[in-house]
Amino acid sequence: MTTTAVSQRTPEAPRRPPSPQLVQIRDLVYQVAGIFQPDNKLRHLEDRCQKRMQALGVATLREYYDCLTVRPIRQAELVSLLNEITIGETFFFRNQPQLDALRNVVLTRIVEARKKMSLRHLRIWSAGCSTGEEPYTLSIMLMEELARRLQGWTFEIVATDLNEHSVAHAKAGVYGNYSTRNLTPQITQKYFSPVGENLQVNTQVKTHVSITRVNFLDDARMVFLKGFDVIMCCNVLIYFDVQSKRRVIQHFYNNLLAHGYLFLGHSESLYGVNDDFRLVHLPSATAYVKSEERLVTR
Amino acid sequence: MSDERQQRLRQRLEALEEMPTIPVVLVPLLRYLEQPLDILDLQQVVDLISQDKSLAAQCLHMANSPLYGRWTPVDNIRNAVIALGMQRMRDIAVSCSVLTLMPRGRTSVDPIVFWEHSLGCALVCRQFAQKIGFPDPAKAYLAGLLHDIGVVAELCVVPQEFRVAFDLARSQGIPLHEAEATTLGLTHCDSGKIVAEKWHLTDDLVAVAGCHHDPHTAQMHRDLVALVSLSDLLCRMSGLGYGYAEECQVNFAEEPGFALLLEECPALRTFDWARFTFELEAYMEEVHHLVRLLYRVSQ
Repeated sequence: MTTTAVSQRTPEAPRRPPSPQLVQIRDLVYQVAGIFQPDNKLRHLEDRCQKRMQALGVATLREYYDCLTVRPIRQAELVSLLNEITIGETFFFRNQPQLDALRNVVLTRIVEARKKMSLRHLRIWSAGCSTGEEPYTLSIMLMEELARRLQGWTFEIVATDLNEHSVAHAKAGVYGNYSTRNLTPQITQKYFSPVGENLQVNTQVKTHVSITRVNFLDDARMVFLKGFDVIMCCNVLIYFDVQSKRRVIQHFYNNLLAHGYLFLGHSESLYGVNDDFRLVHLPSATAYVKSEERLVTR
Repeated sequence: MSDERQQRLRQRLEALEEMPTIPVVLVPLLRYLEQPLDILDLQQVVDLISQDKSLAAQCLHMANSPLYGRWTPVDNIRNAVIALGMQRMRDIAVSCSVLTLMPRGRTSVDPIVFWEHSLGCALVCRQFAQKIGFPDPAKAYLAGLLHDIGVVAELCVVPQEFRVAFDLARSQGIPLHEAEATTLGLTHCDSGKIVAEKWHLTDDLVAVAGCHHDPHTAQMHRDLVALVSLSDLLCRMSGLGYGYAEECQVNFAEEPGFALLLEECPALRTFDWARFTFELEAYMEEVHHLVRLLYRVSQ
């Protein structure tokens, strides 16, 4: 018999296939919440499940799947698991591919489409802004662009969150090491001031950002939020049931200008939730567009 | 570019003098594996692959990758063929053989990037084919693997001219074929068609190599060309492209390949593009890891 031995082995941890129960939980989370964990993140999902299993005193993934599907606690447990999955996801310049796509493709398209118009004002809604890292990141990025793509433009960022504590934190604009770990020394020096061991966002960054408390299910509030070019809504809709999600997405659709963009969180999808928005692929990011025709009017 | 210079480039590509040849073991192996599965002799397949030690070692590395469905290690070709099956081994042997076509030593552009893209595209083509009910996922894999054979030809035969095209594409964030058309007067589809015909590849693979950036121009096998066209674009938009970001916005439902493929695969109408895109994330890590490993072995 002719055999050939592996000539070069790489030192790496032994791999193992994902358990079918874990894949089942992954698919359930995607179906119900719209957030997907690819195969390379299944270890992370398993860790999160194990943590919840410990809290519930559950021994197997099969049993935990039952907790998420048939037991009376299923809705609350799904929220707990989602909290675990998305925990610690708020920090400055969190999703760089998404920010690059917004800056390099979306801004370029908006500026190009409005070339012949006098109104050169950009309006972005950070919907579910948590403690403010996202809207301030956007503000910093757009301030940098004022000397480039956005020459002669103005911009504003409307930031909203349901949680009053988060809104208060966002308004204060003071952040610790975890939130600021992605900041370059240049950005830190230009846009932040030290406050003890923390960093505070400078006033010039804050002036572009208005922060208020808004409940997405408050229709009366939602209808008055109008005229946005871009809505960023990351890891918020995953907590809504399908009916509420549809209602909120319909609001977003109406809140956007024609051809406006809706960005969701990493690996978040609207599949099966809304047919009006169109999925578009940007470099290493996806977004939903209100329509595909050229931007014409505000 | 003048017609005369373009003609000279075409002639050099047609001569293919600097182009490496396909490993000798590949042709008999492929021919043997074309036969019905029930008459294939396992030992003969093992012997064929094992003739080329470098190829065999690469095949083993690939066979041990989760990308090909293996989680428990195999340490010889015989066990790999038993564990993975004849068809999967064919995919692996062809993939390793294509790697050997890449130019050695100093090149104008890092060939690993192109091989990562080709292997990534092959895997995406097969997965995409399976998901939408395309009749021949194995063929889709092969087509994805070989779709950019024209790039390999340009890297080998006209490296300096190709470098200019590549630099333009990268600096402006535009598709490579557009930059090639501007600077070379021809694209890797043109050169791919020349190579594919020269190597007597099957008609469908010639069509894919020659038309994947404009599936409507394919005279035959438009569904396969369209499938590769969409998979190629998805790879390029998802960070498995040519090592730079194409600064554009793509709606797959409006791509020319979409309507063509829809005729053959109605499941495409309700296809979850978002989920498929997220799934690619796992491919990327594995593809980077595997290609670097294989490239080291082949040196």
